[in-house]
Amino acid sequence: MSENVLRLENITMQFGGVVAINDLSMRIDEGEIVALIGPNGAGKTTAFNCVTGVYEPTNGAVYFHGKPIAANHPRGKMKRMYAGSDPEKFLNMQTSMTADRITKLGIARTFQNIRLFKSQTAFENVLIATHMRRTSNIFTAAFGLNYKEEKRNREKAMDLLRIVGLEDVADEKATSLPYGKQRRLEIARALATEPSLLLLDEPAAGMNPQETLDLGAFIQQIKRDFNLTVFVIEHHMDLVMGISDRIYVIEFGKLIAEGTPEEIQNNQAVIDAYLGGNDE
Amino acid sequence: MKKMSATRLIVSLAVVALLYAAAWWAETALGTNSMLITVLKKGAVYALIAVSMNLLNGFTGLFSLGQAGFMLVGAYVYAVFTIPLKRHAAVYQYYNGGIIQFELPLLVALILAGVVAALLAALVGLPVLRLKSDYLAIATLGFAEIIRAVVQWDSLGPITNGSNLLKTYPTFASTKILGTTVLFPMIVAGVCIGLILLIINSTYGRAFKAIRDDEVAAEAMGINLFKHKELAFVISCFFAGIGGALLAMFQGTVQANSFKSAMTYDILLMVVIGGMGSISGSVIASYLYIACSEWWLRFLDNEQFIGSFQVPLLRSGFRMVAFSAVIMVVVLFFRRGIMGDRELWNLRLPGRKKAGRAKQ
Ligand SMILES: Nc1ncnc2c1ncn2[C@@H]1O[C@H](COP(=O)(O)OP(=O)(O)OP(=O)(O)O)[C@@H](O)[C@H]1O
Ligand SMILES: [Mg+2]
Repeated sequence: MSENVLRLENITMQFGGVVAINDLSMRIDEGEIVALIGPNGAGKTTAFNCVTGVYEPTNGAVYFHGKPIAANHPRGKMKRMYAGSDPEKFLNMQTSMTADRITKLGIARTFQNIRLFKSQTAFENVLIATHMRRTSNIFTAAFGLNYKEEKRNREKAMDLLRIVGLEDVADEKATSLPYGKQRRLEIARALATEPSLLLLDEPAAGMNPQETLDLGAFIQQIKRDFNLTVFVIEHHMDLVMGISDRIYVIEFGKLIAEGTPEEIQNNQAVIDAYLGGNDE
Repeated sequence: MKKMSATRLIVSLAVVALLYAAAWWAETALGTNSMLITVLKKGAVYALIAVSMNLLNGFTGLFSLGQAGFMLVGAYVYAVFTIPLKRHAAVYQYYNGGIIQFELPLLVALILAGVVAALLAALVGLPVLRLKSDYLAIATLGFAEIIRAVVQWDSLGPITNGSNLLKTYPTFASTKILGTTVLFPMIVAGVCIGLILLIINSTYGRAFKAIRDDEVAAEAMGINLFKHKELAFVISCFFAGIGGALLAMFQGTVQANSFKSAMTYDILLMVVIGGMGSISGSVIASYLYIACSEWWLRFLDNEQFIGSFQVPLLRSGFRMVAFSAVIMVVVLFFRRGIMGDRELWNLRLPGRKKAGRAKQ
């Protein structure tokens, strides 16, 4: 049996008394595009942060190709405060990889609240992401002995900018670009880390309908070209329904539905969550 | 990183060479003891130290206040290992001539000064750099104060001479190049700053800047935060150590008590006035700062008469008041400093605005 690319097991993330995610389990298989949807504040970004090492989940485990990248159970003060489920199940497990190690394993992400390197140009933003897979050390790099690698990386960064259609603004400050371009730049930067799993947090936010439509095709395109598995958070339902193989829906941190786009569209719990919810 | 064009590189190097030639000529013409030469030497020392601090505070975004401590380490290592053996009895008069019974060649001691400072930085960084950056300022400041006390500790006297002066080690007077004293500090500082520039323009420098801009994003791009912070810290302190050794050479005597936190604040001011994240800014600001404090504002400390009218306020100490006022104005109104985060050699020439950019 082939391992899932990504597997979340009973993830609970509790901030003080706030349970942002409660007992979330999900799996993503090779080559899939899976969407995570839910009303504002449902805990979607928090789930991404647990997968990418920004947060250490309070309870539960995350596996990447069968290997644990995060595993925890309530400890210390949290032991008393814990309000999630299954605290015993993970008692013997604790793994806490830093974000950079997880990226190195092949998980790349974009950020909902765009986090580009603000003093750097678009080109430099992508180039920085090639640093991780360097073979140079500080001495060879300082004296330019890594010039072959440097040249390769520069070409790669330029290629990626071309792929996302930003080659003409390569030398512009990243933060001076319009919103839509900044989002595409974040995708180029994520791709430069050579991921096998790409996490996109609301990639269409701030885009107009035409841009959103293009983005859907673009995601499918890079998925094929770079052999990716894609995990996407998105509010634009047309986009989600158009590109996803499967969809997970969460509300108040809890999984309320899972299935194909058709199944989700006809799911009563989902309809209630969105109609009764606080979504705009 | 915008690649510097070959012509700009050549022009920059030529300008630097010209400045060195001018300094040499000035010392030949004006004499070693002229104020200009003093400023050129001290300015070079502080330029290196300011640049080393900028690497940390300006380029990596780590707010460290330990510079004086690491300079002290460098100064002491240099002095201790270069005092001629036959002078030991006189220098270490309270400690039976000390326990270090050998001397190192000057350049070896200079590099050792950097290495010891770097090793200490690696140790200090181990716990501290894992914390949030506010703690770094406090911890490094504390470290600087502790090292200052430790060095003066009587039990270490046979090595450090306790709270007594270290002296009679080789100064710039013994490192004459082409008959002048000014070239040695300028060349050492120039080479060190050149090395820092090479690092900043390499893939590691880009990683440092990424950490400064956004730690979360940098880590998500696979940059190991701790490793890179530690690296920046060690490199910065290596050069601060060498800077400290140069300062010892400049002063002719070393005493731990002069490496107070006020010294770190002076250097921080040079960095801020020059522009956080600008190497050339730090160099320019260091020279300006040293020239003002040593030379141009000296008249403020002396009573001046215009005819029979005595200008009010001018007396010993007023220079520092005026100086502080200037600094406050800079910090309040010119927060980006002289250069911002640009470099002199990357500035677009006025007439060539269009050619510099491909689009718009
Ligand atoms: N670091 C934190 N500390 C405390 N509470 C947090 C933290 N991060 C998230 N939360 C809380 O967790 C809940 C889920 O937030 P999250 O950002 O994951 O929602 P989301 O589903 O991504 O929402 P949106 O659609 O608005 O992006 C919110 O109530 C939020 O306030
Ligand atoms: Mg979110």
